[in-house]
Amino acid sequence: MKYWWIQPSARALVAVALPLLVPALITALIWSLPGNPAEIICPPSICTGGEELAARWHLDQGPWAFYGHWMSSALQLDFGDSWRVLTGRPVIELMAQTIPNTLILIGFALIPITVGSVLGAFQQPSKRWDSVLVFLSVLPVVVLALLAAAIVELNFAGSGDDGLGYWVRMMAAALTLGIADGALSGSILGNRSMFEQENQQRYVGISILRGESNFSNTLPNLAGALVGQYRSRIVQLLSGAVIVEVIVRVDGFGALLWRGTLMQDFGVVLAAATVFACLSSGLLFFQALVEVLQNLHQRRAPKLTLESTEVVR
Amino acid sequence: MNRRHLYIALAGFCFVTLLALAWSAPDLPSTIDRSQRSLKPWEYWPLGTDMNGRPLIEYASQGARVIAIPSFLAGILVAFFGMMGGLLRCVEWPTIQTMVQFIGEIVGALPRMVVILVVALLLPTEWRSLMPLAVVWAILCAPGAIDEAGAVAARLGGTRFVEALKAHGFGAWRIYMHHIVVLNLRPVLVRQGAEAMMTVAFLEVALSYLAVVEDQSSFTHSDNLRSWADLLKEGYLWLALGIDSGHVLFVGLGLLGLVVLTATALGKAAEAR
Repeated sequence: MKYWWIQPSARALVAVALPLLVPALITALIWSLPGNPAEIICPPSICTGGEELAARWHLDQGPWAFYGHWMSSALQLDFGDSWRVLTGRPVIELMAQTIPNTLILIGFALIPITVGSVLGAFQQPSKRWDSVLVFLSVLPVVVLALLAAAIVELNFAGSGDDGLGYWVRMMAAALTLGIADGALSGSILGNRSMFEQENQQRYVGISILRGESNFSNTLPNLAGALVGQYRSRIVQLLSGAVIVEVIVRVDGFGALLWRGTLMQDFGVVLAAATVFACLSSGLLFFQALVEVLQNLHQRRAPKLTLESTEVVR
Repeated sequence: MNRRHLYIALAGFCFVTLLALAWSAPDLPSTIDRSQRSLKPWEYWPLGTDMNGRPLIEYASQGARVIAIPSFLAGILVAFFGMMGGLLRCVEWPTIQTMVQFIGEIVGALPRMVVILVVALLLPTEWRSLMPLAVVWAILCAPGAIDEAGAVAARLGGTRFVEALKAHGFGAWRIYMHHIVVLNLRPVLVRQGAEAMMTVAFLEVALSYLAVVEDQSSFTHSDNLRSWADLLKEGYLWLALGIDSGHVLFVGLGLLGLVVLTATALGKAAEAR
């Protein structure tokens, strides 16, 4: 394809735009809903001092002023203070406290997914196990999280934020995330069918006749698609982390977002949504980079030896 | 009766059961009657009672009322988006295709739960119900449906397929709606729609559960209604503390199973021959 660079460029563009777009969309939503923006952000039934709040958040000067001020502060890592989750505490502190737990959780949850992807790439397990995988794929995260929480509470109730209890909690939560909502079965079935289709290509047959392994030939061609699949799995994990962290009681970023939503803490929610967008944007950028490298690799002309050049002549 | 008919009958039965439950739901939960507490289904027909003596059938029916219409609508919306994505591959509109791909890339990159929570936070209290969240969820599911339907249409031949059928004298409606949508995109659209329906039901249960454990109002329904999440919460006490509420957990899981069965049967019924 002549215009191979269009797709990675579009992805990179989206990656750059996403962190700017998410607060912009939230701002647009606040101003498009009927009513006073300050009252939408903080309903009078639970908030006092609406005018002060509007002035402090630049809500009284229109959407552009609000967006511009918030973005310029956010670029300096100033997300303001929490209104209700921990009143008066800087949001950046809350995030710094919770993000490591979520990253550890996502890291552990990627283990079953990675194992599943590798198994799928080697056409394992056989199709006889498909019914089990399909069953696993319909297990909702809330049900598995309940089971994980029950196991943890039964055995490690009252354990603190460190030691064995903490790690068992993290492992249980990670296993839940890595299996529920089709994460594990999707990675196995997705990779298996992708490699199965690629193995049927003619170039793979020729490479086998030349004594090469089919995996070393298919992998460079599938790198972009594999990274894309991985990216969407991580985004799915970030999404599921909100539920798992609350139910299994992990003090993570997802749980912070949930507390912010429940307690109408707009400062926390806006900052958390932007950070989630930044994480997603980083992944998108990485996918674009892999796609560029893959295309450059595919288009690299093989170096011909003198003898082979003579043969061609 | 072949296997396809069996799946259609099963999907129809499950869906009608869900609608019947929703239709029969009382507006308010019945009063507490501790003398009837924690009765099993064989002691209090058909599903037993909770720890406060309330019949579990009320939870089942009110929960069905919360999810039935929004999840069905989300399914329809996702199938519609998928259909548009598939049809778009069969027409020569490169600018629109690029725009759709670009928007799909943005929407697909957002963690769904984060978007749902932001929308839930910003929605005015009087608008709070599952419906707006289900619509947002359908929009978030749309890029996947559009991509998959687009891939099917591309494998079919895209614009060349349409040209070939035009050469055979078929009209536009017959080509696009019958040959492309009904005959070729149907399995993908129905499966995607059914999956969206199922995930909206799961979303409702998850959001309500998270609110219930914090003793807060749910974002998806008013306080006078009970969700299936209440069943899971009470059932969890049996798992974690050994309190006599195991049957409540099984009723909750059974109801989620009903939704899964509906979605799976729908998907199987629409599979390509």
